[in-house]
Amino acid sequence: MNKKSMFRWLMAGGVILLIVLLSCAYSVFENESRLVAPMDFSTYQFRVKDLPMLISIPLLIVYILALIVRLFLALKQQRLQDQPGYTRRVDPRFGLFGFFGFLGFLGFYSYASQRVIFPFFFFVFFGFFGFYYEGKMSGTLADEMFEEHRVKAQLKAYKVGMSLIFAILWLVGFGLFNRQLDYVAIYLTIGISLAYAVTLFLSEYLLYRYEHQE
Amino acid sequence: MPEFICQLKQYRAEKGLTQQQLADLVHVRRETIMRLEKAQYNPSLKLAIDISRAVEQPIEKLFIFD
Repeated sequence: MNKKSMFRWLMAGGVILLIVLLSCAYSVFENESRLVAPMDFSTYQFRVKDLPMLISIPLLIVYILALIVRLFLALKQQRLQDQPGYTRRVDPRFGLFGFFGFLGFLGFYSYASQRVIFPFFFFVFFGFFGFYYEGKMSGTLADEMFEEHRVKAQLKAYKVGMSLIFAILWLVGFGLFNRQLDYVAIYLTIGISLAYAVTLFLSEYLLYRYEHQE
Repeated sequence: MPEFICQLKQYRAEKGLTQQQLADLVHVRRETIMRLEKAQYNPSLKLAIDISRAVEQPIEKLFIFD
């Protein structure tokens, strides 16, 4: 994706976001918060004042879908450009996605307010910090020493991940949070998500370490 | 990893090859040649044969195992 194309996508996103925000504001101040606040759709009846929300929401959905398709196409195009025998090209800034891992802490709020534990799954994103190291090794000739290091790093990462999962399961099996199934579910979601993140991160980090040790 | 003595640096110099040139000849990175010369990396049989052909020396002379 070139800069011009990226600017167009960002502009379109900004405009659509503005339309959604204006529609929400209109709905809240002029239309009893319909389609913004939770409502019973089984008894829904169309009103002309609903139109801004009815237009802006599908527009946002179409934009998100188009963005996903564009991303897939860009990734496919990039894969075609990758030279065989070399590591794939990844921007180290993708490592910033690791910060999405902090969204996992939202789980404590969502559980307390709505008893929803799904956000804990976001701890998996901590593993995306590994993209930083993968990015630093972009376009490297994957010769036999590199492959050996990759296998060694992955094996060690899997061992650490499996040991963590074993410890997590062992504690549950021996009655941690006994008779409090909600806590068991939260503990397992957090524990296994973090173990997965550690495995993802370590496989790239250790490879980088092996490659750069003197 | 078994310990060994690597004589590659000496024979590579005799052949007048740089690490990068040798790496290009045997399709590996310069870092791999560098670690080989420090005996920090144990090469595969294929790489050992490729290197011995590139520097025109028998494998036993390049890599000496106790």
